[in-house]
Amino acid sequence: MPGGGRCPDCGSTELVEDSHYSQSQLVCSDCGCVVTEGVLTTTFSDEGNLREVTYSRSTGENEQVSRSEQRGLRRVRDLCRVLQLPPTFEDTAVAYYQKAYRHSGIRAARLQKKEVLVGCCVLITCRQRNWPLTMGTICTLLYADLDVFSGTYMQLVKLLGLDVPSLCLAELVKTYCSSFKLFQASPSVPAKYVEDKEKMLSRTLQLVELADETWLVTGRHPLPVITAAAFLAWQSLQPSYRLSCSLARFCKSANVDLPHPASSRLQELLAVLLRMAKQLAWLQVLKLDKRSVVKHIGDLLQHRHTLVRAAFQDGMGKRPRICPTPTVSTVTGDENISDSEIEQYLRTPQEIRDFQRAQAAGQAATSVPNPP
Amino acid sequence: MDQNNSLPPYAQGLASPQGAMTPGIPIFSPMMPYGTGLTPQPIQNTSSLSILEEQQRQQQQQQQQQQQQQQQQQQQQQQQQQATAQQATSQQATQVASGQASQLFHSQTLTTAPLPGATPLYPSPLTPMTPITPATPASESSGIVPQLQNIVSTVNLGCKLDLKTIALRARNAEYNPKRFAAVIMRIREPRTTALIFSSGKMVCTGAKSEEQSRLAARKYARVVQKLGFPAKFLDFKIQNMVGSCDVKFPIRLEGLVLTHQQFSSYEPELFPGLIYRMIKPRIVLLIFVSGKVVLTGAKVRAEIYEAFENIYPILKGFRKTT
Repeated sequence: MPGGGRCPDCGSTELVEDSHYSQSQLVCSDCGCVVTEGVLTTTFSDEGNLREVTYSRSTGENEQVSRSEQRGLRRVRDLCRVLQLPPTFEDTAVAYYQKAYRHSGIRAARLQKKEVLVGCCVLITCRQRNWPLTMGTICTLLYADLDVFSGTYMQLVKLLGLDVPSLCLAELVKTYCSSFKLFQASPSVPAKYVEDKEKMLSRTLQLVELADETWLVTGRHPLPVITAAAFLAWQSLQPSYRLSCSLARFCKSANVDLPHPASSRLQELLAVLLRMAKQLAWLQVLKLDKRSVVKHIGDLLQHRHTLVRAAFQDGMGKRPRICPTPTVSTVTGDENISDSEIEQYLRTPQEIRDFQRAQAAGQAATSVPNPP
Repeated sequence: MDQNNSLPPYAQGLASPQGAMTPGIPIFSPMMPYGTGLTPQPIQNTSSLSILEEQQRQQQQQQQQQQQQQQQQQQQQQQQQQATAQQATSQQATQVASGQASQLFHSQTLTTAPLPGATPLYPSPLTPMTPITPATPASESSGIVPQLQNIVSTVNLGCKLDLKTIALRARNAEYNPKRFAAVIMRIREPRTTALIFSSGKMVCTGAKSEEQSRLAARKYARVVQKLGFPAKFLDFKIQNMVGSCDVKFPIRLEGLVLTHQQFSSYEPELFPGLIYRMIKPRIVLLIFVSGKVVLTGAKVRAEIYEAFENIYPILKGFRKTT
């Protein structure tokens, strides 16, 4: 029986502690009036610790899909549809996006990054299924910077611990060459420029394989190599009419962008072909140059395995290397530092005054009020 | 005894393989001792062959030598039989026997002794005929030493600094607070750059060795002292070391990323090199198709050397085979 309590109704001091459904109550034993009610919690100290919690720190985030995430998932599906990917790709890409969104670093990232993340998820899905999608294509579609894309992509691969295979070169050749508008006559494509798709595709593939074997592909962006190879393949199929066509003109007719490194890749590929031609007796006498070798690309490709082995057995393009002798410095780090050496780095008082005057003049000039 | 040509018998075995050699193979310096790797100097030859391939070539050439000698022996035997056909049979027997014995003797001297007067066309003429291959070629060190290119270090000058004063009174300082909240100071010897913050902390970059970095940091501290601040030289620490070297053969990066996928990242659309994150020691290597390797992330020099010795056998596995 607690002391000091009076029932407000009847004034009795007979107050009994009773619990009603685990809620403790103070009840007057005379009239049955409930004086005080307990709280539906365990202890008083617990209640004292209760505070308002922000949404980001509650579990509410995990229980519903935020609007930002919903937007992102919608963008992933849209991108898959724009690229006309098979339907299974969509689900995988969505799953990657959701997985990435579980990480706080991604959730708190800027919208620009979240936008680029959409592209990264689609790219990873395509790479894992050998679908030849280049980063350049995605960046163009998303209006994104390649630098931002690359940073987000590397971060995502590390975060999710993924093993992303390299771009499949053969598939890229097929897709890229099929996009060339050279297989039907049109106002921009004269009759002599029209080519059979299968022939051009097979020859381009062989030239790209040759480039890969002779070290023209490793470390370089794959697309310019394929452009150069496609150009040579196309030229060699009807050299008499097409030798006069330049690489730029070819890309324009085919309605394809000319990537900048393609011209250097073209020169390198021609140099390789010339080296191979030197191994064939009946071509050696012809004294071929970079233009005339195009006519014989068919022959060279037919025997490419033996020719490459013969032409490059003693090493590839060895340049006399000047090995720089390592300069051995005898610095210990504890030498004396002379005062004169340090003083050369300090301004004289006159210089300081001049500098301050110049600074003041400069500031005055920039803050001159506009003349009325 | 009459021979086919005017060359003495011990040199005859040499002459023919020369024709079999494809011209243009660079000459390996005969002074390079077998199995080197202990001399800390880059290989001074201009060829792109590694030591292992040299050994293989030596073995092939010695095998060619052997074959040539056998052919020579057969030819000489036939000659002798023709020459002695007209002589008495008893003399024939002894002569043939002695001829064969002398040939065997010659062939033995060919194989084991160094060849006087013969130009050093073959690498390391001291190599024995039965090649003693090293127990595990992989355990040989590469003989290439990475060169340090950059050292980043930090030091605490131990007092608050007024950057405006420093920028005003020092010739070699630039200070643009809107762009970066530190003074950028440069000295000529050792050629380095320092970032000096108002808290008194300083970052020194550009030195080529640990000692140079320490000397440069001391010089910067001295400059700040002379500008009127009570600068000290506390907690000097090397934070990062960058080294580079050349393995001198091209590397198939696509192959390397396939087999060492958990450490490598190779995206030719983004960067021409392969980024290899080694676990032990914790170093990041940038490997390029030309064979140049950049190593970074080391706190001590030994980590760079260790990382390179770890990667070299892996890279040798991916050099071209054509």
